[in-house]
Amino acid sequence: MARTLETPLKLLSALLALAATVARIAAQDETPPAEGQQEEGAGEEGKKDDDEEHAKYFAIVGGDVVPGIGGILRDVTILARNGKITEIGHDVFVPEGAETLDAHGLRVYPGLVALGASGRITTGNLAAEGPEEDGGVAEPEEEIRFDALLPVPILAHPKEETAEETPDLQAEEGGDEMKSEIEDTFDPFSSQLVLALATGITSVQQQSAAVKLKRYEIEGVLLGDRHISTLTWSVNNPSNIRSLREKFERASSYLRDVRAWKDRGNKDEKEPSKRGVDATALRVLQGESLAYFRNGAREDLLGIARFAQEYGFRPVIEGCDEGWTVADELGRAGAFAVLIPRRRDPKDERFTRPGGASIENAAKLHAAGVQVAVRPENTGIDTIGIAGRDVLHMPVEAGFAVRGGLSEAAALEAMTLVPARILGVDHRIGSLEVGKDLDAIVTDGDLLHYRTFVQYTVVDGKLVYDKEKELYFAHIRPRPKKPEEPAPAAAEEPKAEEEKAEEPPADEKKDEAKDEESGGDDEKKDEPPKDDEG
Amino acid sequence: MHRVHGVLMLALLGACQSVGPKEAAPSASLALAPGERGLAIRAGKLLTMDESSRVLDPGLVLVRGTTIAYAGPPIDVPDGYERLEVPELWAWPGFVDLHTHIHGAGWHDLNDMVKPLNPELRSKPAIDPWDERMEHARAAGVTTMFGIPGSGTSNSGFGTLYKPERDAGYEAMVLRDPGGMKIAQNFNPQRGGGDLGATWAGLGWNLERLNDQAARMARDGDEDWELANLMKVHRHELPVLIHCASAEGVADAVRMWKVRYGTECVISHGCWDGWHAAAFTAATHTPVNVGPRTENLTAMRREDRFVGIASEYMKAGTPLVSLNTDSPVVPEEELFLQGTMSARQGGESLDMLRALTSNPARSFQIGERVGSLAAGKDADLVLSDGDPLDPRTRIEYVFIDGRMQYSRAQDGPIL
Amino acid sequence: MILTSLMLLGALPGGDLWAVRVKRAETVAKGPIEHALILVEDGRILAIGEDLPVERGIPVIEREDWVATPGWINCHTRVGFPRGMSSRTFDPQLSPEIEIDPRNDAWKELLELGVTTVGVYPDGTGIPGQAIVLRTRGDTLEEMLVHKPAYLSIHLQANSSSKNMLREAFSKVDEYEEKVAKEREKWEKEQEKKKSKSKSSKKDEDKDKKEEEKKEEEKKEEKKEDTLATQDEKKEEKASDAFVPPEPDEKVKPFLDLRAGTLEAMVSLSKAADYLHLLDVLEHEEKVHFSVEFPLRNDIDFYEVAPKIGEKKLLVVTQPETTLQPNSIRERNIPAELARAGAKLVLVPRDDSVEGHEEWRTDVGRLIGQGLSREAALAAVTLEAARVLDLGERLGSLEEGKQADIVFWSGDPFEPSTRVEAVMLEGRFVYGEVK
Repeated sequence: MARTLETPLKLLSALLALAATVARIAAQDETPPAEGQQEEGAGEEGKKDDDEEHAKYFAIVGGDVVPGIGGILRDVTILARNGKITEIGHDVFVPEGAETLDAHGLRVYPGLVALGASGRITTGNLAAEGPEEDGGVAEPEEEIRFDALLPVPILAHPKEETAEETPDLQAEEGGDEMKSEIEDTFDPFSSQLVLALATGITSVQQQSAAVKLKRYEIEGVLLGDRHISTLTWSVNNPSNIRSLREKFERASSYLRDVRAWKDRGNKDEKEPSKRGVDATALRVLQGESLAYFRNGAREDLLGIARFAQEYGFRPVIEGCDEGWTVADELGRAGAFAVLIPRRRDPKDERFTRPGGASIENAAKLHAAGVQVAVRPENTGIDTIGIAGRDVLHMPVEAGFAVRGGLSEAAALEAMTLVPARILGVDHRIGSLEVGKDLDAIVTDGDLLHYRTFVQYTVVDGKLVYDKEKELYFAHIRPRPKKPEEPAPAAAEEPKAEEEKAEEPPADEKKDEAKDEESGGDDEKKDEPPKDDEG
Repeated sequence: MHRVHGVLMLALLGACQSVGPKEAAPSASLALAPGERGLAIRAGKLLTMDESSRVLDPGLVLVRGTTIAYAGPPIDVPDGYERLEVPELWAWPGFVDLHTHIHGAGWHDLNDMVKPLNPELRSKPAIDPWDERMEHARAAGVTTMFGIPGSGTSNSGFGTLYKPERDAGYEAMVLRDPGGMKIAQNFNPQRGGGDLGATWAGLGWNLERLNDQAARMARDGDEDWELANLMKVHRHELPVLIHCASAEGVADAVRMWKVRYGTECVISHGCWDGWHAAAFTAATHTPVNVGPRTENLTAMRREDRFVGIASEYMKAGTPLVSLNTDSPVVPEEELFLQGTMSARQGGESLDMLRALTSNPARSFQIGERVGSLAAGKDADLVLSDGDPLDPRTRIEYVFIDGRMQYSRAQDGPIL
Repeated sequence: MILTSLMLLGALPGGDLWAVRVKRAETVAKGPIEHALILVEDGRILAIGEDLPVERGIPVIEREDWVATPGWINCHTRVGFPRGMSSRTFDPQLSPEIEIDPRNDAWKELLELGVTTVGVYPDGTGIPGQAIVLRTRGDTLEEMLVHKPAYLSIHLQANSSSKNMLREAFSKVDEYEEKVAKEREKWEKEQEKKKSKSKSSKKDEDKDKKEEEKKEEEKKEEKKEDTLATQDEKKEEKASDAFVPPEPDEKVKPFLDLRAGTLEAMVSLSKAADYLHLLDVLEHEEKVHFSVEFPLRNDIDFYEVAPKIGEKKLLVVTQPETTLQPNSIRERNIPAELARAGAKLVLVPRDDSVEGHEEWRTDVGRLIGQGLSREAALAAVTLEAARVLDLGERLGSLEEGKQADIVFWSGDPFEPSTRVEAVMLEGRFVYGEVK
């Protein structure tokens, strides 16, 4: 195939190898524990870290590692201790008893971070709808209905197919963002979660929280919360803009007053009052959260860029379709852009100036200094057939950005480090560096190539997905068996005696079960209702 | 920016030239007549998609007028040919999409659901050559489309085979009109219209009644304005595209149109669990045009794994498996992506490229004209900077009937 | 082996000492016994064994083709009740007693199917109350009631409101315990004060005491019915003996008992993740004992937590059914997987109706064919069900000392053609030809 990351970067590679060596040396010193969410069980975590006897090691051995910050490290080992990366390099000493993953001939990338992912990925299809719901929840039957407009039938519940907007944050502007309830709703067994892991996603955005896709356990899934504050902006609503300005002006002057008061150091003087200061504006100005806009029209983007520069904060703009027309301004504002690269909305024909969506959007914004992140057209998971445009196909989406001129390195960052920065969790995830979590994917080729599959997924230094052992993709270009490999553990497969050779589909089976009069002869009577021929 | 690195390509070029077949002398038939236009395209890689699926590194295409005069290894180019030297690009036939609805500017003019059968309906009046979607289709390398009525009625009418040529009217665009018949065998036509046809049995009865009549009239040489085209189908002068889905739906369609009536038919969609009937389509030599759904996990019946529908049909031996967009369900410009996904899900890239070019053409009686690059065929070709199935690939030039329809340098990066 | 005299027709066994000999007795606790003889006295099983010798004079009922099992127990039912409201409530103090109608035919029909004991749970979701144990026979509630409470019913889902309901219930217990601690402190301080006072004036108190006693006696002689005063005085005396904690609120008490381990809970879940969230809520509650209940339906992923549940040897209540793995056509026999993992399996009918109870045994039988061990299957409808109801010592198996609730079948109870021949409840035949 045509695509490789072959190097005019050989020099960079060497530099990185050097850097890796340096990192290794540095890692031999005591690595400070990662900062971050230490609300729960912080004390216990600290104790665990010190306890070498119970330390759990995981090593990915011999792969070509693309750390996500540029370049590629060939044939290296990544070692993690209790889920945190401690070393990346050649000749890494792997302690006895460590779990290892042989990645020879394979590539290792940071796990992808899906901005705008359906809530069902973390709460499962069987999530209770709400407090009124009975303990027995409704089955999500995939009923096919026929839409008069579409030439083909579509699902009764279009959520699965159409683009699912990340629901707006609950708070009105200026209010407090809702605290994420993910720790109470997380479903670590959900098949959607497994599918996300299978296609390389290790963390997702759920409203304003960053959630790690842990499997089999529910602790430690909330990586970060409320790092984004949604604001609305529209040139068609000037009073809204005025009100926003006022809030920021008030917050800004409050901050100046506080600084001046501190400088004066006068003990008798009272601290400036916070009264009337909008909490959200304050958080944004203090850098505690990022202002998040959903805009695409040129005028709005210009307005936001200038507003941001005026008050000195970095805006995140989702959509940003016409961003390429004002890339410079956005670059100066230090903006982040969350794009759907394949968007093709035409420009507003009332204006002569350039507009509309452009395939070059990502490339031009990136060139101007905007941090570019990519999200899929459809934030859900499509299991009924229209392939290539849902959250399971982020590399395809990034591929469109590359088509438009974005470098492959930036395209990778658009799915990893930049989303992590937007969610405020780049101290933990987004790249493979010492001190960060070992959230990685091992692929059988260039991640951006369409035939590449994720072979293994590791989250927090634990293997949570193995392509050969799950049902979904094992049949596609199966991994050649190595001679010393033992038979795969039947973790996901039912025991042999439970599998029936011929089993009719569920609904028919139930009907048969109810119809029968003599229960004991069932298994002999059952026959598959359909054969391959019509 | 080029994906296939120039350096590498030139090296390959050099290697091929030194090792490859000797450049033959141009034959007399390739010389241009006075006043005749000619274009010689020398590309780094030429995918002919012909019978033997030759791939040439590099290759040469000679376009004379609206047709291809030569497609093969580089030879001496006769005088008068305009030269296009693109050693860094791949050349391949323009895509053929047998199931599209963008001719009528999208969702309009799709269905006229008054009565269950309307074989006399034609999509021709709905064609809008200036629609923006045509521009996108062109720029994405789609050079032949079968624009058809929707599936609101059982016999939906006759569609038009056309090319999205720029600055052209209907006459210039049309490839064949009527291009073929469109049938909606099941699902969509089942609406509570009040007339017969709310169930498959009713739909089947309707279709058979009409077909029996038309078949008889065709045999007897009768004339009938309403059924004229349907009779052509029964005389194998026109093909029929049958929208159907699910295994029993596919089987039902094959039984009727291939086994009973022996028409030149192509199963379209064939999705959800339709591939379970693949052995039947293979045994009856019925081509299948897969899309817009190219994979399945849970629709109709659970699959236990992600099934690549097109590759399953291919594996079972179904002939001439092709891919479609059913645009605008999938935007026309993402026809290539159907091939991408099908190749990802258990298929081979070259097979899926064929599914986008020569297979659909040959299954629909236009293989003589489009779908491959060979002497005598229409000069519909695309030049890209890499694998046509890779989303990262950029299309540089598109030619239809020998005329440049899109040039990235001039028209900008539309896609 | 002493062959006994003829079966005494018409003699109503029960209360007296008598025996029955059957082809096979499924004891559940110790496996099947062939040619079993069961000796019953005063409503309990006195002895059971293979070809046990019987003393002359003890009536023996000979049934060479019968198979005996313990009475079947459905520990989680609302059979015969109208469809519930299913609204979410927090009423841990309630129980469904007032809903019980002893004249409902359902009880009789269940009894004739061999179901001798039922656990009736309260309607609703959230924390709707406590279940009670009934025998399937009786003209009044009192006659039917065997034991209460059986368990506290808790519905837990993976969402904040559901988890918080349970968390808050326990934090109310924390509050109560703090209150008790404060009261105790207060009382102890008062005790200290009293002691210091009493030392100085002990002699005075003795005198006062004797005078009071005289007065008491006088009062008694005068007014024999005037007991109030003496009781008050007794209280005063007692007040100085022990600390009486304040009464907990009726909604707090069940959780207090739960925390102390004197009341069990049955937690209803709907998917595997719910179990992990339950453990999250109960993280610091070490003594809480609970069984787990989940309704089986396709796509349920409960097998994911089978190892964890098996490790803890929890009681798990579910239905006899195989289900499909999510997104797959693979069949899982989750009850069998749970049993193999070490969980104590309990099976209830797929449908909570009288018809459902008829299907119950054939459904369980089919599950045996699909991989569930016969031992686990039998225990699932008898002994383990009894344990859910906290009556594992008394019911659920054919063992010496246990209550004589016995069902007599015409053959293997899991065979569809088998019928109930007779049912014995607390040593009395209540159904069948033997009367």
